[in-house]
Amino acid sequence: MAFLLRRLAFYLAAFLVAATINFFLPRLMPGDPIQIMFASAGSELSLENLNALKLTFGFIDAPLHEQYFAYLQSVFTGDLGRSIKYFPLPVTELLGRALVWTVGLMGIATVIAFTLGSLLGVFAAWRRGRLIDSVISLTAIFSSSVPAVVVSLIMLFVFGYTLGWFPNGYAADPLIDPAWNWEYISSVLYHGTLPMLTLVFVLMGGFAVTMRNNMINLLGEDYIVMARAKGLSDNNVMLWYAARNALLPTVSSLAIAIGTVLGGSLVTEVVFNYPGLGNTLYQAIIARDYPVIQGQLLIMTAAMLISNFVVDLSYVLLDPRLKKA
Amino acid sequence: MKLFAQLLQNKKAMTGLVILTIIILVAIFAPLLTEYSPVKRVGRPHQAPSWDHWMGTTRLGHDVFSRLVHGARVSLAVGFGAGLLITLIGTVLGIIAGYKGGVVDEVINFFTNMVLVVPNLPLLLVLAAFIGQASPLVIAIILGLTSWAWGVRVTRSETLSIRQRDFVKSAEMLGEPGWRIMLFEIFPNLISIVGINFIGSVIFAVITEATLEFLGLGDPNTVSWGIMLYNAQNAAALAVGAWWDILAPCFALAFLGLGLALINFAIDEIANPRLRTGGMLNRWTRMVRLGEGKL
Repeated sequence: MAFLLRRLAFYLAAFLVAATINFFLPRLMPGDPIQIMFASAGSELSLENLNALKLTFGFIDAPLHEQYFAYLQSVFTGDLGRSIKYFPLPVTELLGRALVWTVGLMGIATVIAFTLGSLLGVFAAWRRGRLIDSVISLTAIFSSSVPAVVVSLIMLFVFGYTLGWFPNGYAADPLIDPAWNWEYISSVLYHGTLPMLTLVFVLMGGFAVTMRNNMINLLGEDYIVMARAKGLSDNNVMLWYAARNALLPTVSSLAIAIGTVLGGSLVTEVVFNYPGLGNTLYQAIIARDYPVIQGQLLIMTAAMLISNFVVDLSYVLLDPRLKKA
Repeated sequence: MKLFAQLLQNKKAMTGLVILTIIILVAIFAPLLTEYSPVKRVGRPHQAPSWDHWMGTTRLGHDVFSRLVHGARVSLAVGFGAGLLITLIGTVLGIIAGYKGGVVDEVINFFTNMVLVVPNLPLLLVLAAFIGQASPLVIAIILGLTSWAWGVRVTRSETLSIRQRDFVKSAEMLGEPGWRIMLFEIFPNLISIVGINFIGSVIFAVITEATLEFLGLGDPNTVSWGIMLYNAQNAAALAVGAWWDILAPCFALAFLGLGLALINFAIDEIANPRLRTGGMLNRWTRMVRLGEGKL
């Protein structure tokens, strides 16, 4: 319990850091921060609306520390301001809508990539030095070193434009009304396949390399020799003695990988014109819609912290030693 | 130097070094490789690859090959510049935290963990958005200042174990000053970790620079692979069938990434001999040749 509480306190502090960066960044830039933040608003926003927006970001006639607390107050009450491009849509609503798509796409891709990558790593380590190890290692090196944007563009070119197997963009056929029926759901699945495969390829390599290295370091341990001496089958030793223990450090690398996943998913969404966080953010960058750009940092930090916490929880389950601590 | 000699014997490292050398030579001799200026209109828009423009032209009529070889300079400079900065900060903080311990360690470790959980790319996007059109130099600096956390974590844990060894203890007994122990006793034993950190950071910097520029946060007047992707995407190059415009920088980035990753993998194997695949590339080349034989 103490372990989890300590982690929770730490995550709260980390979130505070992200909020603090958001607060100070416009104020550190040369020039007038209000000018910078709301320049794109032009004459579209009435004075009253603009003042309300300034208040959200702590631009009040008061000393800096009071401005800071005014901003923190809006952040912790869930008010991230309103989008300038889509005024008066609140940033939380805009990003919340997009988050659903990203979490769906990313969640499925991460689970598949983690399972597939780890299994490949296990096989590569088990058959170390053989042909299968060579093929898996080389693929893994390639997959973990090529930028997500490059993989996305090549996948789109090959399977989208040249072969025409998959659609070139959007989350679903725009002619079909969103509803809980098979027509719409199948369209969503069909449109999501290519971006998902791209993400799986981008993420898989890292998991495979980590798992392979962990496994190899474990294979010399006494309990592996013991399991073999007992005459257990090869698969049994590989999966239930070696892989099970090698999984522990991989899970902690999963927590760090989630940050990479977010990054990779951002770019993939832009390439495939997928309506998730990445694309929303891309549109915001083009329009210099600062409240949205700042809001995404907070939402993504929150997403990262929550997934880290889930990993912490699973760590306690996987490693009984931590339960006592 | 021993590390370097071992690298030369490793096939993966050699392949990686060859790839990297080719790209470095191309970058250095870029003006000699092409008669076209990378920033001038030298042909009609979106011409397919031909004898005159053998990687075609962009929508603005720039020669793709010329932009590609000149762009290598920026990608390499940002990659190695930011990589150096990331490694420098990571190694210095890591060794200090691991060796000094106590409050210093607590403070550095706390900040490191903090930076590790704030997602990197979203943070960079916010920074770059406020800076406006970030030049490659600015991108390299902000990459260097935000991405050192992983290096600190790894260097610190390795320093913690080295610190307990006899040779460090005896140096302490002899009264060597702390900075001398860190620089001449501990650092030489971290060289493979620092190497992995450096190459990994270069890969990260190359990828991230291209990504930031692709997303429209770079200075559109630079000639770099990321800006090439950005321009091609804006010109809807794939949709109008101008695949050369997008695939050229794509393959260049993949090639550079692969070369660096091979070197990194090789250093990892040298530092931890258990990880070796045993003639992996041998088999790979044999397999490729077998394939050719069948054709």
